[in-house]
Amino acid sequence: MFTPSRIVFLPVAALAAAQPVQAMVYLSLEQAQELMFPRQTLTPAPLALSAAEIAAVERETGTRYFAGALRAWKGADGYFFADAVIGKHDLIRYAVGLTLEGKVRQVEILEYREAYGGEVRNAAWRSQFIGRAHGDPVQLGHDIRNVSGATLSCQHVTDGIRRLLAVYAIAIAAR
Amino acid sequence: MTAARPRLIARLVVAAVLLQVVGARAAEPVPGEVAQQLEREIGALRQQLQSTQQQLEAMQTRLRQLEAQNEALAAQQQQQALQSAAAAQPAPGNPAVGAPAAGISPDLSLWGYGEIYYDRPVHDPGLAQADLARAVFGIGYRFDDRTLFNSELEVEHAVSSASDRGEFEVEQFYIDHQLSRWAGVKAGLFLMPFGLLNEHHEPTQFYGVKRNYVEKLIVPSTWREGGVGVHGETPLGLMWDTGVTTGINLKQWNFTPGAPFYRTSLDLQAADIAPMQATHQELEFADAQYLAQYAALNYSGVPGLLAGAAVFSGKAAVPAGFPDVRATLWEVHGRWSAGGADLSAVYAHGSFSGTAPFNLANLGASNPLPSEFLGYFLQGAYTVWEQGSYRLSPFIRWEHYDMGASYEGIPPGFTSVPAGLAPDGKPWPLPRDRVWSLGANFYLTPHVVLKADYQHFDINSDFSSIDLGLGLSF
Repeated sequence: MFTPSRIVFLPVAALAAAQPVQAMVYLSLEQAQELMFPRQTLTPAPLALSAAEIAAVERETGTRYFAGALRAWKGADGYFFADAVIGKHDLIRYAVGLTLEGKVRQVEILEYREAYGGEVRNAAWRSQFIGRAHGDPVQLGHDIRNVSGATLSCQHVTDGIRRLLAVYAIAIAAR
Repeated sequence: MTAARPRLIARLVVAAVLLQVVGARAAEPVPGEVAQQLEREIGALRQQLQSTQQQLEAMQTRLRQLEAQNEALAAQQQQQALQSAAAAQPAPGNPAVGAPAAGISPDLSLWGYGEIYYDRPVHDPGLAQADLARAVFGIGYRFDDRTLFNSELEVEHAVSSASDRGEFEVEQFYIDHQLSRWAGVKAGLFLMPFGLLNEHHEPTQFYGVKRNYVEKLIVPSTWREGGVGVHGETPLGLMWDTGVTTGINLKQWNFTPGAPFYRTSLDLQAADIAPMQATHQELEFADAQYLAQYAALNYSGVPGLLAGAAVFSGKAAVPAGFPDVRATLWEVHGRWSAGGADLSAVYAHGSFSGTAPFNLANLGASNPLPSEFLGYFLQGAYTVWEQGSYRLSPFIRWEHYDMGASYEGIPPGFTSVPAGLAPDGKPWPLPRDRVWSLGANFYLTPHVVLKADYQHFDINSDFSSIDLGLGLSF
C-alpha cells in the first residue's frame, strides 16, 4: 500500500520546530510600531486631505485615494504609516516607516490572507523600497521588481507605497 | 463629570484663600484651637485634592481607552469603506480591485476568471473554432485569522450536458490552516505546485492565447488532486510544499480510439488525451487504493527571480491482472523578470514504469501507453509600450513536447502511431512536435487582456494556427 518516502518527513520536522502563533496576522500595529520606532512615543498625525490634495495625490500616483484607509503617526525621528490594499481578492495590511526626510526606512506586511502571492513578505522584495521617496518612480516592473506568481500583490503594495509617499509629501511635509 | 470640575475649582479657591490667610497670619501668634482647626481643614483639603487627582487619572485612563476604541472602530470603518469603494469603483490602476463581497460578509471572498479563444488553422481555415474555453468563479471564506476555505467552480466550453463536450468541474475545494507564522496545512482538492502555470493559470498571467503545450500536455494543468499537504516559506524567500494525494489511474487509458483525438491545436489542448491528462483523477470517485506523494521547492529571494522544482510519484491504479506501475512526474522551472523583460523556462519529464505488459495486451493499439513523456520551453516577453493601464507585451516561445518519448512492449512490426490513414482520410497526428509561438498580450487593465499569436508546428504542420483571445481575471 502507501509507503511514505523520506521527503514527507522534512516538513513534519519543520512543523515540529515551528511555534504556533497568529499566522495570517503577522504583526500587530503596535508590534510594527515598536519594530520600526523602538521605545518611541508615536502620536497620531491626522490625515485630513483637502479635495485639491486628494486630486494631486491621485494625479501624481495614478492611483485612487480612499479617505480613511491610510493612517499616520509621528515619532521622534520619522513617520509611521499603516495602510491596506487588496492583493488578488483579499486585503493586505502593511506598514511603512519613513524618515523625517520622507524616505522609506522599512516596510512590513502586517496581515496577508490569500492562498497565493504571499511572497510580498520576502525581506528581499520589501527591501527594494528602502530609500525611496515621493518623486521616485516606485513602479512595479521599473524600479521595483516583481515576484513571479505574486504579481497582483506586488503591484498593489507598490501602488499603495507610491500613494503613501505622495500623501506624506503633499499633505504632511508641505504643510 | 461636568459637575465635578466647578466643585474642584471652588475647593481650590477656598484652599488658596485659607493658605493666604494662614500665610498672612503666620507672623502673628495663632491661638492653639484656631491653629488646630486650620490644620484639620488643610488636611481635609489635601485629602480632597488627592482624591480629585485620582479621579482625574482614572478619567484620563478611561479617555485613552475610549480613544483606542475609537481608533479601532475608525480602522474598521476605513477597511469597510475601502472594500465597498473597491467593489463599487474598479477604476484603472486602483489597487483595490476584486474586493471581498462587502455587504454579505467581510469574511467572504468572490473572484473569477475566464477566457475565450478564436483558433484558425492556417492550412485549413474550415477547421476554425471559437470557444469559451473556461469560465471560473471562486468562492472563499475566512473562518478565522488562521483558517481559510477556497473553492473554484469551472464551466469548460460554455455548455455542459450529456450531449455536449463541455464540463462543469470543481477545480479547487480545500481548507488551508496556518500552523505557525511560516507554515500551514491544506486538505481537500487543491492545485499541484508544479511549473509556472498550474497554480497561476489565469489568462492574465501567461503569454499567448492558449496555454503552453508543456504545461498542458506534460504537466496536466489545471492539475489538482485530493489530499493533504503542508507548506511554508522562510523569510529569505524559500517556499516548500509537500503532501500526499490521490494518484494516477491507468484504467482510464484508451488504447484503441477509432479516430484521432484531435485535428487542431485547440483540440489537442482540450481533448485531455496526454499521458497524465487522461489518467489523473480530479477527485471524481478517484481510485484511492494507492496514494502518491509530491514535493515542491521554490526560491524567490532575489526580486525578479523565481526558480523551482517539483516531483510527484506514486503507484498507479491498474486493471486487474496487471503488474504495479509507478507514475512519476518531475519538473524544473525558472523565471526572471526585470525592467520590462520577462524570461521563463520549464522542463518537465514524466514516466510510467513497467508498461510493457499493457502494450503487449493491446498489440496494434492506435494509442499505446507511453513509458516516458517530456517537454520543455523557452519564452521571452518584453513590455514595449505602457500608458496608464494599457500595456503591450509581445512574446516569443519555443517549445518541444513529446507525449510518447518512449514505449515498452511494442514488438518489431508494430508502431506507436498507426502507419496508415485515419478514418477521416488524413494521417494520424504524431504525439510530439516543436512549436514556435509569436504574439502579444495587450492589457486593457492588469485584469483584462486581449491576445493574438501565430503558432507554427514543425511536425504536425496542419496544427499551425492564428489565435485570438480575450481573458479576464478579478
